[in-house]
Amino acid sequence: MLRFLLTRLAVTVPTLLGMSFVAFAIVALAPGDPVQMELRAMGIVPKPEDIAAIKAAYGLDKPFFIRYAHWLARALQFDFGTSVATGRSVIAEIGHHMPATLMLSLVSLVGAVGISLALGTLAVMADRFTANCVRALSIVLVSVPPFWLALLFIHVFVLNLGWSRLVGDGSAIDLILPALTLSIGAGAAMGRFVYERVRAEACEDYVRLAIAKGVSPFGILLGHIGPRIIGSMTTVWANTLGWLLGGAVIVESIFSWPGLGQLILQAISQRDFPIIQGYLVLMGLVFFVTSFLADIVLVLADPQLRRGLADE
Amino acid sequence: MSKSKILASFAALGLLALPATTHAVAETHLTVAVKADRYSVKPDKFTFTTRRPAAQIAETAVKPDANFNPSPLLFKSWDYNDGTYTVTLQDGVTFSDGTPFNADSAIASLKLYDQNKSDFLQLDQNSFKKLDDYLISFRSEVESALVIENMTHRGASLFLPTDAMAEYPVGTGPYILESYEPKKQITVTRNLNYWGEAPKIDKITYLFIGDDNARLLALQNGEVDVIGEVTPQMMLSMPQDGSVVLNESRPIRYAALMFNMLGKAPFDITTDISVRQALAMAIDRETIAQVLYGGRGQAAKTILPGWMFDLGDDHANGFTYDPSKAGKMLDEAGWVVGDDGVREKDGRKLKLRMVAAYPNVSTVKPMPEMLEQMFAAIGVDTEIVEVADSGVYNDTYFGPGQADMYLEFASNNNTDPTYLLYNVFTTMSPWGYAVTSPGGNVDELATASRVAPSRKEAIELVRQAYKSIVDEHTSSIPILLVPNFTLSRPGVSVPMSEYADWIGYGNVSFNH
Repeated sequence: MLRFLLTRLAVTVPTLLGMSFVAFAIVALAPGDPVQMELRAMGIVPKPEDIAAIKAAYGLDKPFFIRYAHWLARALQFDFGTSVATGRSVIAEIGHHMPATLMLSLVSLVGAVGISLALGTLAVMADRFTANCVRALSIVLVSVPPFWLALLFIHVFVLNLGWSRLVGDGSAIDLILPALTLSIGAGAAMGRFVYERVRAEACEDYVRLAIAKGVSPFGILLGHIGPRIIGSMTTVWANTLGWLLGGAVIVESIFSWPGLGQLILQAISQRDFPIIQGYLVLMGLVFFVTSFLADIVLVLADPQLRRGLADE
Repeated sequence: MSKSKILASFAALGLLALPATTHAVAETHLTVAVKADRYSVKPDKFTFTTRRPAAQIAETAVKPDANFNPSPLLFKSWDYNDGTYTVTLQDGVTFSDGTPFNADSAIASLKLYDQNKSDFLQLDQNSFKKLDDYLISFRSEVESALVIENMTHRGASLFLPTDAMAEYPVGTGPYILESYEPKKQITVTRNLNYWGEAPKIDKITYLFIGDDNARLLALQNGEVDVIGEVTPQMMLSMPQDGSVVLNESRPIRYAALMFNMLGKAPFDITTDISVRQALAMAIDRETIAQVLYGGRGQAAKTILPGWMFDLGDDHANGFTYDPSKAGKMLDEAGWVVGDDGVREKDGRKLKLRMVAAYPNVSTVKPMPEMLEQMFAAIGVDTEIVEVADSGVYNDTYFGPGQADMYLEFASNNNTDPTYLLYNVFTTMSPWGYAVTSPGGNVDELATASRVAPSRKEAIELVRQAYKSIVDEHTSSIPILLVPNFTLSRPGVSVPMSEYADWIGYGNVSFNH
């Protein structure tokens, strides 16, 4: 097991390095000079020496690879520099907005898991007509763009019914609509996976044996199939959490949820490159950590994998 | 308990958990939704922080009057002689922390603006002199006669230099900072010791809502009182049932088509003035004015509105819609209509690339498509490149000259009449507008206007320059003049200004 973990971590190092390079290069090579854009947007008329001084202050006057090396050296110490737009450190900016996004993503994940289990098991256990309806509903829900769903919810629950407000203060009650928006699509997508996995396991001998023993369908589902698919489900949940963290940007913007979405959208429009680079690296790390944890759970949940690793 | 009863119980609990609606807003608490949080705590870019929200905390030395001439605020009077400004300060003014505003604190505040990289006022830092407790003098480091005009820019608001000025800015304004949450909100409350006339509103909260639809929906739902930064799409989707009220100023912003004057093949067609003038006559401005901004724009003859600086509506002749004359001009220039309806000359099609727009295409939609159809009517094939990002616009198309025409939406945003002319329409432009500038006499007029001995003479030179740009060179085609807009909920009256930074949110009225 230890060897597996160390190997997994070792493989990750070049991946993270490559990811950091891509994050840096995407931003550094993108069109748009943050200094000029900020000055122009504010109506400031700069002198060439002023522009040169600001560029020097941000290290923009140095060659690309030297800038990358300097940036990487600092990034390894979790120092991603200072926001061009606000003057606060990137870590402080991300740290300020991260809890809101994390809360939204986790609540959405819980909702999505609930929806997926409900849809997946219903599709397996119901009669053919109902199962087809559930599968069709899943396809529709997966296909609906989150921004459209968000606007629909706003019209229904905020404007017409008045059950909620649009501009919240980040409190738990304001979480309901954005979390629901994110949960539905993710839940429907995962529901199809649950359906496939349960269907596949239902053909296995151990399930037939359980049926022969007279175990109830729910008993088989919870006591026999559940433990077998929990490992692979964990991987899906981990990937979905990563998707929710990174994909909540538009939904956060529409619901004015004060998370990373607001931060990154404004950073992109202002070419606030330290924020964008820090955000991209952070998202990469989140994907890495969640998939790493999912791998561990997968191994722990699967006796065959566990034995295989023990034999190595 | 049956399943249905359990479900009904959960549903009832869910309903109870939902919050009550938030229609009730105290009359003296104004909530304004703005697009972006531009607040900064970085000391060396401190002047950038003084936009709308912080502008209520600090004041400028002078303010623009109805015709965009500077009028007294913290400066009571001023005189410009032999390159020296002599200023009498307003007496009886204090900063919100009680520090008196006098010669010492005024000089310290003014000196802040050379301690960063935006030497906006171009003051000679060694020239400040305290002549009396309320009398100071200084010089421009570039011998500019328009320093006072530039002081009407909100970016030149006067803050008291303190160690904590980034976290807690102190000014002489009618409000003081109460709270600030990055990317979320900033709240200011009334400065009880304000030296001027007390504002009507006790507290103003600026909410940062980036999404245009979300800002409009928040207003419809009564969660905010006013929203700014109104796009044409917002006006198209604005409900017509009276639930949203449109407030507008006089026209101030221009939409103009600027030509690549230094174009190299394949972007060299519009270096021919006949083509530029033909295109100018092919534009049906009245129709565009009816479609964009809910019909509240005006067909433009010139770049600046006539009321501004008393330029007069006829300071340039401009162009009227005359497609047949436009066609004849192209015929005479050798561009004949081909079989496919597109003109050609020496085997080359009259195909032009139009990049829309600065600052982003949402500010002018659907003008690009309308122009494309109008140009097609005279045999010009237009390739539209729509850009939602000013960085891409500048670096990919404008800077390298990779287009024939550039659609821009901007304004002269302070009382310096030379500001826009010099920075956007001359080859000396620090923002890279040499590519669309005619040069020659326009450069000379703009340069002369910057050092003109009096404001009146400066304005006359500016008037001549704009006339030359439009009528003589046609390097830019004025299309539309557009007011500044805000949207408010019914019963909320917003004292509008052409200048978004000068909208008096502190004096908004609630009418019932």
